[in-house]
Amino acid sequence: MKKLRESAGFQSVLASVLSILIGLLVGSIVIFIVGCTSKNLSPAVAWDGIRLVFGGLFSTGRDAAGALTWGFNPTNIGNMLFRATPLIMTGLSVAMAYKTGLFNIGAPGQYLIGTLASLMIALGVPSESVPPAIIWLLAFFGGMLAGAIWGAIPGMMKAFLNINEVLACIMTNWIAANLVTWMFDISNFKNVVESTKTGYIYKTTFNNVATPKMGLDKLFPNSQVNGGILIAIVLAIGVYVMMSKTTFGYELKACGSNRHAARYAGIQDKRNIVLSMAIAGALSAAGASLYWLAGNTEFFWSTYQSLPGTGFNGIPVALLAACHPIGVIFTAIFMSMLDIAGLQLTNLTAYNEYITDVIISVIVYLSAFSLVIKMWLSSRKKKTEKTEGGSAK
Amino acid sequence: METQYAIEMLNITKKFPGIIANDNITLQLKQGEIHALLGENGAGKSTLMSVLFGLYQPEEGVIKKNGQVVSIKDPNDATALGIGMVHQHFKLVDVFTVLDNIILGAETTKMGFLQRKEARAKVEELSKRYGLQVNLDAKVEDITVGMQQRVEILKMLYRDNEILIFDEPTAVLTPQEIDELMATMKEFSREGKSILFISHKLNEIMAVADRVSVLRKGKYIGTVETKDTDKQALSNMMVGRPVQLEVTKEPAKPGEEVLKVEHFSVPSHVHKRNAVNDVSLTVHSGEIVCIAGIDGNGQTEFIHGLTGLDKSSGGTVTLCGQDISKASIRQRGLNMSHIPEDRHKHGLVLDFTLEQNMVLQRYQEKQFQNAGFINNKAVRDYADTLIERFDVRSGQGAITTARSMSGGNQQKAIIAREIDRDKSLIVAVQPTRGLDVGAIEYIHSQLVAERDKGKAVLLVSLELDEVMSLSDRILVMYEGEIVGELDPKQTDVQELGLYMAGAKRQGKEAQA
Repeated sequence: MKKLRESAGFQSVLASVLSILIGLLVGSIVIFIVGCTSKNLSPAVAWDGIRLVFGGLFSTGRDAAGALTWGFNPTNIGNMLFRATPLIMTGLSVAMAYKTGLFNIGAPGQYLIGTLASLMIALGVPSESVPPAIIWLLAFFGGMLAGAIWGAIPGMMKAFLNINEVLACIMTNWIAANLVTWMFDISNFKNVVESTKTGYIYKTTFNNVATPKMGLDKLFPNSQVNGGILIAIVLAIGVYVMMSKTTFGYELKACGSNRHAARYAGIQDKRNIVLSMAIAGALSAAGASLYWLAGNTEFFWSTYQSLPGTGFNGIPVALLAACHPIGVIFTAIFMSMLDIAGLQLTNLTAYNEYITDVIISVIVYLSAFSLVIKMWLSSRKKKTEKTEGGSAK
Repeated sequence: METQYAIEMLNITKKFPGIIANDNITLQLKQGEIHALLGENGAGKSTLMSVLFGLYQPEEGVIKKNGQVVSIKDPNDATALGIGMVHQHFKLVDVFTVLDNIILGAETTKMGFLQRKEARAKVEELSKRYGLQVNLDAKVEDITVGMQQRVEILKMLYRDNEILIFDEPTAVLTPQEIDELMATMKEFSREGKSILFISHKLNEIMAVADRVSVLRKGKYIGTVETKDTDKQALSNMMVGRPVQLEVTKEPAKPGEEVLKVEHFSVPSHVHKRNAVNDVSLTVHSGEIVCIAGIDGNGQTEFIHGLTGLDKSSGGTVTLCGQDISKASIRQRGLNMSHIPEDRHKHGLVLDFTLEQNMVLQRYQEKQFQNAGFINNKAVRDYADTLIERFDVRSGQGAITTARSMSGGNQQKAIIAREIDRDKSLIVAVQPTRGLDVGAIEYIHSQLVAERDKGKAVLLVSLELDEVMSLSDRILVMYEGEIVGELDPKQTDVQELGLYMAGAKRQGKEAQA
């Protein structure tokens, strides 16, 4: 037990958990203050709000008397897992690049390019002549391939021209945003049938393409969940194995922590930087594929003014997980749990939906803090060791 | 009698978590003497000087100046007491002129405006008096290392310091410059200034110091008069056991040609000309060939070109009969191991564990991987073997992070790895830089052992003692060219120094 407590892994987990708790606490304080100062809210509503932030996942609504009710809510959990799917992938993308010494801020752009390729393939290949399962696979891997190419661009700039990958990624993000808008604008996929809303393209179900449920709909009825979450988890495990067990991962990590030494050892540093970014891009794009190929999601194609939050949220997901691929699964699920809690807060109280964004932001902000907390933990550990050593004498 | 000591550090104890850096150390510096402080790396010399400079506060002990107890809380107090120091790594502003560097921090101002004229007059006067030639208007980045050191000395004089500390001052100088520095130091002591001379070079200590204090592992070993001791006794005091100062080796028995470099040129990163220009040399099996020279004369570029880290711009390299001029680093590595100059930049991935570093070039070999998956057990066993055989010490053995190891053990790890790769040519660049006598002795014996096994060893060294004692042939590099080939048995440090400084060179035809 003591050994576990002192292991570096445990320290990271503890640091992340602490920063999450602090984030929730600060969020609760915000809710409380807003509750006490707003005209249409009261401290009692604030108390409901705080409880929903912590336990929104298990909220089942209000009873006749108007009190909050709690219990197992399969819809909530299913939706949480569905929202976590793309986050796991973008988180993996950032984490994997970070392990190889690269800061992949290009996840949103790669995500968009993945969206473009997957949707184009999923809607463009006629399902009358090609089995939908094949179309799905084509769309999934096509999306990954497009993301890989998109990721490789800043990778090549870094490797061959020594341009900082952060700069190149930001540029390629906006190029992606405009490219995607343009490509859909001139395409035939704009949704003209369901004209209730404008600016959306067809769901992939119009072409009979959708990710199989793999039985998860039985487990979590009335939710959006599908097999994508399982694919994401498998990919996360795959990234973990690749990075920590294979010679390829060893090379990537060597390049990441000391490019010069890697070169000295005969490792092709330039090739590996490009590969790292390409894999990161493919992972991000896979997130997009899994999200849009679900069949029940509609893509708003006019993206030229905004980048998808899912891409950026990969950064806090990765940081909160200390860039551990397996940890990413849990932090991504946690982030989407907050999302669900936010929805419940909006639905069940008079709180404005944006307050949940404030809370999420606080936690995101504190995720960077988890490093500080980790340092504090290890310095505390050293102190205890010293006193223990002293008393032993 | 009490005032015979200019500065006294009495019973100084300074502890850091887990280690006692200075354990009850007493150092007494007489008025007008040159006092050497001798010790291996990690013996506590730097800590002691930091205490004297007010950077650390000791747990115990007092500092006295002229018999009076003084309190030094920060470097400003030290300066006020007339203590000045020439650091091993110069603390100069590269883009400032020499004059501006000298007055920096002690500027004469009138109503907030610099009075350079007065300052210049004072510096010129000092420079003339001590024969410390400097160009006051040159920028520091454009002047030689020797002149930079003179700037540092003038900085101390400008501040009217009475107690001068020289931290490893000769490491970057040519033999001639070292002689000049020694003369200057003696001149200072004649004038009554007290000098503390930190070094591990026994020759210089014997030549210039009046007394020597020796530290070992944070403890004070003793103080001796140089006239009552010799080099061997001093090194035994420093290391704590009898040390082999001279490398013992049989005469070389050179075999077949292993490395042949012809008309080799490497472009410079700094200027448009070649850093290495038309260099030709050969290394045979069973001999140690040393490239000597002052730092920055193209040795680094030559090695980078040879090992493939940089591209060459002309000439051919033949290793074991194969032309490797255009080969990749890994292909070159098939017959060459390389102990790099910069162990942190090239030699190790500092955030990797020791075992991961031990297989840095070999991870993809069959014994360490299976279908792309690293065989952790094989790696661990291999690392453990090397650690035991080469006595690499670390906190947690094979799983220690390389960053947390001491410099000497990091270097030992690299040497272990490179020697065990068992290649025909060993390229060793400054393999003992920054290491203490014990580690140096060990590394030298390893290189000689490899030579005797029939390996070809190409050594690059800036340390003249190392060049003279270890090599079988010496090639002197000056401004990117080989200017002379010398036989260590038939030459001396003085002659070597003339070649290194470019004052002497052999004709092109003579070296062929």
